[in-house]
Amino acid sequence: MSRIARVTLPQALAYRGGQPMTAWLLHRLSGIGIVLFVSMHIVAGFFIYGVKGPTAEIANAVTTFYESLPMQIFMLFAVLYHALNGLRIVVLDMWPAMHRFNHEAMWVQWALFLPMFLLPAALMTLGTYVQ
Amino acid sequence: MATQTNTLGQARRGSKFELYMWFFTRVTGILFLLMGAFNLVYANLEGGRGNLDVAAQMRWAFFPISFHVTSTSVEVVPNFSNPFWQIYSFLLVGFAAAHGFNGLRVILGDYVRLPLLRAWLNALLVGIWAFVMMAAIFLVFVFNQ
Repeated sequence: MSRIARVTLPQALAYRGGQPMTAWLLHRLSGIGIVLFVSMHIVAGFFIYGVKGPTAEIANAVTTFYESLPMQIFMLFAVLYHALNGLRIVVLDMWPAMHRFNHEAMWVQWALFLPMFLLPAALMTLGTYVQ
Repeated sequence: MATQTNTLGQARRGSKFELYMWFFTRVTGILFLLMGAFNLVYANLEGGRGNLDVAAQMRWAFFPISFHVTSTSVEVVPNFSNPFWQIYSFLLVGFAAAHGFNGLRVILGDYVRLPLLRAWLNALLVGIWAFVMMAAIFLVFVFNQ
């Protein structure tokens, strides 16, 4: 029924889609990351404040995991990238003529994303380890 | 009604669910950006400037709740304290969960081919979504600090 071509893993890894593929992959991975984190966060809060049984111990362990600095920086990366890339997708969907400038838009996106991510990430790291 | 054919060769007719979810994803995506900007500006107007560290600013912009700024010494208005913040938080969680779980549904559709397996996984997704929403409703409306 389905007509999707079967692609082996080496074939998939050899495919060089360039910038659009990177954007698609990062958008998808950051989206999955955000959904998992937010769901985990809400459910952990529920088990800590709502259930309060032995499950609260597990929820506390989950909390220390996602409150760690690497996770915070990963979430900053995921949310920022997903937001900027999503904005680009919305613009392309609403004004298809903008596809002409897609290549430039992707570089503009990196130019916005890198300082917006690296500066807070550096400050967060310094704030944790220096002081 | 005109019949569209997608890349999988399956005829699409009738339900406009996919179209509505596509639109919903775009609209809520822009809404989250506006909400994040509002949260950030609000926190800084309320005295966050110079008092909130960067991580707390980011956490607060992501979701405005006093737990997110406990690491710093600022008193930002506690949330869930009045109906406005309760409804605001609930709308934020509700839109975010719908946006995110719809995204997971789309991803499942990309990789799971067996219709029965896809239906079961979608049902599982709906179950997880319902549980998360139940937990969110408890935290926003029932649980008080």
